[in-house]
Amino acid sequence: MCELRALLADPGDNVAVVQQKVTAGDRVWVNGTAVTAAEDIPLGHKMALKEIPVNAMVVKYGVPIGRASAVIRQGEHAHTHNMEDITGQLCREYAAAFRKKAGEER
Amino acid sequence: MRGTFNGYERANGEVGIRNYILLLSMVHCANTVTQQIAWRTGAHSITHDFGCVEFADQHARTRLALLSAALNPNVYAVVLVGLGCEQTDHDSLMKEIAAAGKPVSYVGIQESGGPGEAVAVGEAMARAYQVEAAVQARRPYPVSRLVLGVQCGGSDWTTALSGNITIGAMTDLLVAAGGSVIISEVAGFPGSEHILAERAANPKVGLEIINMCDELRAEYVALHGQTIEAVNPTPGNKAGGITTLVEKSMGNVKKMGMDARIQGLIHAGQHVPGPGLWMLDLRAPAIDGNATSGFAMSGAHMDVFSTGRGSPLGNVVMPVLKLTGNPRSYEEMRGLFDFNAGVVLQGVSTAEAGEALLRRVIEIADGEESRSEINGDFEFIIPREHTK
Repeated sequence: MCELRALLADPGDNVAVVQQKVTAGDRVWVNGTAVTAAEDIPLGHKMALKEIPVNAMVVKYGVPIGRASAVIRQGEHAHTHNMEDITGQLCREYAAAFRKKAGEER
Repeated sequence: MRGTFNGYERANGEVGIRNYILLLSMVHCANTVTQQIAWRTGAHSITHDFGCVEFADQHARTRLALLSAALNPNVYAVVLVGLGCEQTDHDSLMKEIAAAGKPVSYVGIQESGGPGEAVAVGEAMARAYQVEAAVQARRPYPVSRLVLGVQCGGSDWTTALSGNITIGAMTDLLVAAGGSVIISEVAGFPGSEHILAERAANPKVGLEIINMCDELRAEYVALHGQTIEAVNPTPGNKAGGITTLVEKSMGNVKKMGMDARIQGLIHAGQHVPGPGLWMLDLRAPAIDGNATSGFAMSGAHMDVFSTGRGSPLGNVVMPVLKLTGNPRSYEEMRGLFDFNAGVVLQGVSTAEAGEALLRRVIEIADGEESRSEINGDFEFIIPREHTK
């Protein structure tokens, strides 16, 4: 049997993407380390590599991609049910700060 | 890594990787004659629905697209095919194409005595150019002369993870070697402007990126009454595992690599002003062929296209190198793909995959046919702005 794997997009990430459908209790290999899936996770979805506290950032590709709206425990499925999309807020805050800085440097 | 590719010198000092003969229809009414010449000669052709009774701003887009395709360095010579009474001014187009040192001719249906006669005249013109083009020898040039577009479409869960990450590794290598890479697909930028602006070569460029994204966001609200976040990621994206817009956008911008800095914004029909990573601000609907055509109009030699599910999209003046991050798609559609980035999911490092991809780019630049060319996919869209 093939070993189950999840891909870590960036070394700083706290989630990895499962490369096969995963069933609760499966051992999933991420860069040579095994993480036990806490629940079923569909192909291509994210699995938490360590506990992510509520309101902490979910990090993928080395950047925050959303905020945990509930505690996400190691091996759990991280998706719309426990993550909040804060893209608009992230971008607005950044843009405002950038404009301010650019204004100051001018 | 080989530091050179074998290309064709152009009279204006540019280098092409193909010696295509391009037939350009001046107006919708000349499309069939243009296609007949293409079928008889194998020359590539652009036909379209425009060229007459257009408002000035729209006709300017038509003309710019036709001219820019003709000026792509992969084009050896151009035959303009007109009706005789259309809005498109073939004389001024010929002058601009000739000024770039490119052979160019015109055949008009009315002045030739009808469509059959025009086909015969156009065929003779194209064949004469084909004979000239066939005897031109390739010469070695440094890879720093290469200009690539990078793109994705027909996506699945692997497109960002293994496909676009591999493109990004290739981008970093080519830019480090002095080459040029263009990113576009502007609809994918809102949601990652905070990442993109940080990658700008200087604060001025960063501000331009933020302004562009703000304009796009405002345009969506003005046109549709909804923010981009309200509709993106799509239900299909979510079913596939993408949770947030920044996550989706990041997958898209991974094609620009980790190190290369965005040197500036370029606009429709504008060539890259220098080496490095550039952003093409092409405002047009998000259908894949618009960005591909935009790269062609900006003088790109080749488009490097990541597709998990498998899109056959090609371009009339560029090979489109098709790679997939999905090993299963690669096995199931061998006739569609030029490169398998799915090896990243099987333990090959992104750095190794990126280097192998650059080798493949150089092989195709040298003249090996891409799958898009073998499959005869020579699309071109005149990129129109959103109609308000």
